[in-house]
Amino acid sequence: MARSVWKGPFVDAYVLKKAEATRESGRNEVIKIWSRRSTILPQFVGLTFGVYNGQKHIPVLVTEDMIGQKFGEYSPTRTYYGHAADKKAKRK
Amino acid sequence: MSDTRVIVGSIAGAFGVRGEVRLKSFCADPAAIADYTPLYTDRGDRSFATIVVTGQTKNALTARIDGIVSKEDADALKGTNLFAERECLPSLPDDEFYHADLIGLTVVDTGGAELGTVRAVQNHGATDLLEIHSPGARASVLLPFTRAAVPTVDLASGRIIADPPDGLFE
Repeated sequence: MARSVWKGPFVDAYVLKKAEATRESGRNEVIKIWSRRSTILPQFVGLTFGVYNGQKHIPVLVTEDMIGQKFGEYSPTRTYYGHAADKKAKRK
Repeated sequence: MSDTRVIVGSIAGAFGVRGEVRLKSFCADPAAIADYTPLYTDRGDRSFATIVVTGQTKNALTARIDGIVSKEDADALKGTNLFAERECLPSLPDDEFYHADLIGLTVVDTGGAELGTVRAVQNHGATDLLEIHSPGARASVLLPFTRAAVPTVDLASGRIIADPPDGLFE
């Protein structure tokens, strides 16, 4: 069942605080968070979060199309490597 | 096997009794494996000039490969990895790189200090991530593959110059 609209998106308070502090300082750093359940808000765009996957913090650079998703969606708890073959990486 | 070859698939066994094979493709677009011919075996002692993809089966493609005409031929090659020449892969625009080219490159910071080597390239839905293994480190570090964090990729000299965010290599 979907979350009621009147409640607004859920974000852990410490995530908001850390993001605000980093944005004000203007420093280029990874914001380490453990809250995989928090929603990605528009004010997080451009920041890099280190989202904990139970083992380590996975860097997640937030872009506009990620708004409304949860942080945990970008930090999988299992990793499959596979073969490189013809797979490509794009520098953004 | 030559260092200039990249693994693109493997033969999973025979398909039917008329010499077709089940082909596992490791390519981003599985059917693209047929575009990278000739393909070579692990030891490079055998090559296949043409591959025609005939269909799809569970977890694999079905294909007809030149030189394989019977079920026995196909079964004999079960488990064989197939490699393509690196030059057969199409050239890419700026800021796009093959994983095969990035893996193994040395990563140095802007001061010239070595940070490690690229072990893998991952993508979990956000940006691509370079998995960097530092000598002597217990765990590897994931570096976002962005222009800000990775200003220079020099494939010719086998080096990546990185400007990692604070606290990443601690």
